[in-house]
Amino acid sequence: MTIKLRLAFCLLLLCQITLAQSDSITSLKEVFVSDKNLKKYSASQSVLKLNDSIINKNEALLTDLLNFNSTLYFKEYGRGMLSTVSFRGTTSSQTAVIWNGININSQMNGSTDFNTISSSDYNSVSIKAGGGSVIYGSGAIGGTVHLNNDLSFLNRFENNLRLDYGSFNTIGINYKTSISNKKWSTQIGFSKNSSTNDYKYLNRYTWRGEQRWNQNGQYDIITLNANVGYKINENHILKLYSQTSNTDRNTSLIVETETKSKYVNGFNRNLLEYDGNFGKLKTNFKTAYIFENYQYFADNSANNFTYGKTENLITKLDLDYTLFKSTQVNGIIDYSRTNGYGTSFGSHVREISSASLLLRQDIGDNWKNEIGVRKEFTNNYKSPLLFNLGSSYKFNDWYNLKLNISRNFRIPTYNDLYWETGGNPNLKPENSYQGEIGNVFTFKNFTWTQNFYYIKIKDMLQWVPGTGGIWTPQNQDKVNSYGTETLLSWRKNYGKNNFAVNATYAYTISQDEKTKNQIFFVPFNKATGAVSYSRNKVSAYYQILYNGFVYTTADNSKDEIINDYLISNIGLDYDLKFLDSFKIGFQVLNLLNKDYESLENRPMPGRNFNVYLTLKF
Amino acid sequence: MKFSKLLLIALSISLFVSCSSDDDDTPKGAYDNGFFILNEGSSSVGSVSFSSNDFSLFTKDAYKAENGNDLVGGYLQNIFFDGDKAYIIAGGSNVINVVNRYTFKLIAKIDSGLATPRYGVVKDGKAYVTNANTYSYINPATGDTDDFVAVINLATNKVESKIELNATANRLVLEDGKLYITEPNSSSKLLIVNIATKAVETLEIGYSADCIEEENGNLYILRAPFSGNGELVKVKLSDKSVSKIGFPDSLAGVGLMDIEDNKIYYTAGTSVYAMGINATAPSTTAIVTIADSYIYGFAVENNRIYVADAKFDKDSKAFIYDLAGNLQKELATGAGSNGFYFND
Repeated sequence: MTIKLRLAFCLLLLCQITLAQSDSITSLKEVFVSDKNLKKYSASQSVLKLNDSIINKNEALLTDLLNFNSTLYFKEYGRGMLSTVSFRGTTSSQTAVIWNGININSQMNGSTDFNTISSSDYNSVSIKAGGGSVIYGSGAIGGTVHLNNDLSFLNRFENNLRLDYGSFNTIGINYKTSISNKKWSTQIGFSKNSSTNDYKYLNRYTWRGEQRWNQNGQYDIITLNANVGYKINENHILKLYSQTSNTDRNTSLIVETETKSKYVNGFNRNLLEYDGNFGKLKTNFKTAYIFENYQYFADNSANNFTYGKTENLITKLDLDYTLFKSTQVNGIIDYSRTNGYGTSFGSHVREISSASLLLRQDIGDNWKNEIGVRKEFTNNYKSPLLFNLGSSYKFNDWYNLKLNISRNFRIPTYNDLYWETGGNPNLKPENSYQGEIGNVFTFKNFTWTQNFYYIKIKDMLQWVPGTGGIWTPQNQDKVNSYGTETLLSWRKNYGKNNFAVNATYAYTISQDEKTKNQIFFVPFNKATGAVSYSRNKVSAYYQILYNGFVYTTADNSKDEIINDYLISNIGLDYDLKFLDSFKIGFQVLNLLNKDYESLENRPMPGRNFNVYLTLKF
Repeated sequence: MKFSKLLLIALSISLFVSCSSDDDDTPKGAYDNGFFILNEGSSSVGSVSFSSNDFSLFTKDAYKAENGNDLVGGYLQNIFFDGDKAYIIAGGSNVINVVNRYTFKLIAKIDSGLATPRYGVVKDGKAYVTNANTYSYINPATGDTDDFVAVINLATNKVESKIELNATANRLVLEDGKLYITEPNSSSKLLIVNIATKAVETLEIGYSADCIEEENGNLYILRAPFSGNGELVKVKLSDKSVSKIGFPDSLAGVGLMDIEDNKIYYTAGTSVYAMGINATAPSTTAIVTIADSYIYGFAVENNRIYVADAKFDKDSKAFIYDLAGNLQKELATGAGSNGFYFND
């Protein structure tokens, strides 16, 4: 009865939108993205693309960009510290982060720390809501976050330099150069973001009456990028993407007397890609080597550490065959070998092969269908047959309906399987069945996307105390998540005055099937808003973020919650029109000086400031 | 409705007050005549719950209730008492909070000279607190040899000296000027520390020895290995002779122990058992079994058995039974309840 009602309600409101901030002037034919399937197989789902004009208006680390511009919820262990995501009410390892088409979630803990990634290292960041395991593999349950580097084959030589200086000695240096002609395309980038991060905690004092502040919170993140593309001829292209990063970060103290610790982690990613066009048959061959490591120093002043490392070799062949003009089929085979070793899980090799078949069909201009299946083969766990079915239909020029159902999974991590002692080698992957309905309304300059989804996850991996008090992971709980997302976008030019407004809202219920309690650290409500205005040389913007309260315990204890908060940022920049562009900007962050935290006893900074220079030449 | 509730509260308070005055034991504060449940919490923050002995008053987070925003610290391990003061050891934060044991108001903090403090005892105005210092998984070179006893002057709340142990240390008892220290994870020895000379002796007792009690000139130590059988080790203080009582397979997962009125109470798996102090074999008849529990705190006091079923992502539970195993009360306590401390 109630389900029927809910369904009827959903059907009534059905809707969905892509918030394309389409600033791209360059002709699409000359720009090559590595993650082709993101565009090809996302017709029936919602993709929010954040390009560099939005990236530039936010603080440097990826957490801030996504926090202020999407429905993703973040739990931060203080400013710049470990930051984990929850997308559509799922866990931090149920959102997959995809770098140029390759899943880069940690093999060790299954998730990504969004404060170790500098947004400006990418040309765009896309957020795709909903299941994606058929294409992207483990962890694509809540959704996927795509970090994309595009290579263009136009004659150009362009340099971008951005310098930031802000409160708490927050320094950003970001340089990118693009050199390309019709044959070659090269992009080299460097970014460094650091801060002593010694901000005062608003309204908090020690028992001796001293002002409390964020001790031991300093961080330094350095990333180098080099991407090269070579066109052998019009039909054959080679591309190499390479990225190296190191994050050197202390862990901020909760109590002044704690032992000061430090966490250093880094990665090295290399991806070689070949695109061949043989008429009806197109091939894409990828081979990637991804190295990831961490060192944890329990005591800063000593040189002792624990560590973990994984080396992951991936090869992937994607054959795209055009059956009919309207119908394309992709066959993908993929082999991944991971060698992991560390102080807490010994040394283990994990091999996974997979085969998938994808089909897409365009019936006329308005109806798009997609079907996919994937099966993995490995000795490590029993792999379910994954599938994806989707359809998008444009009823008229203002209404587009999207439907998608899929089965997705998240495989056990090295920690889950091999932790000494307690690791459980007999785990099953977490797996989900999910469905969504998306509605996209477009009226002139206004788009409105309204998504409704339902995710049923079982075999959730949880660490519980076993006999003798040893903690061990088990496949136990079942979780049902459902909710709705609203994405709004409006832009308008009045003469020289340009206005843009973007907003997102998510209502999320994520329930333990047995207890009916809300999963802790999943807010019922989250909303963001951004208004920007530009005229001639001046542009101004205002951002707002509302996070509803979250429970911090599984039993939804009313006295153990994190309060809701509303914070906002304001910024202004002025182009001196020197070189191609020479902007000087000023931002006030946490404008209203709100005392807030996203995790208990982890206060975030009050009002703070940032000045920046962006040069294009 | 509301009025009747008020009346009920008023009545129960008056009852409580009159009861106490009958005992000629006027409460010295809101937290007298009851017991604290220590909740280990996370690395960042734990809590202390309080219940009156008649269960009419309960405060889930007494420290917060009395001290507001002040942080008690993480991984709360132990409370020890001296006079009117209670000392709450926060092992994760290297701090000992000194509070009035009856009002629970913060008096001071002992916040230097400690490194992962664990358990404490008091004698003649000085506290002796074991410190685990670094662990061998992170510091293989000296992690198992750097533990120490911090000697704290309770008049100044300062660590005045350290006794290096060249071993690992956890629980301790003090008897006739000597500390007897066990440690379950890396040590097979009982440490004997003369607090006057600071001399350290060792006695081989076997690995996994944790709970330790002194009774009638004997030490009773429970060895509770992760796998395999437990054992009760008896050390005669006069000649340091060691005798042992093995536990059978049916008592799997031996955990915690407390001695009360010449009976040794112990836990195995999810059950509580008792044996006579001079018995030669352990009892395998459970007094009470708590299904699906994780027994993390245990005590027997004033003819009651106190058991904590710890949960770390939600409220723990404290169960109070009479000595026959009849449930008297169930309380919802903070995360990771690991001990009971009596305030009479």
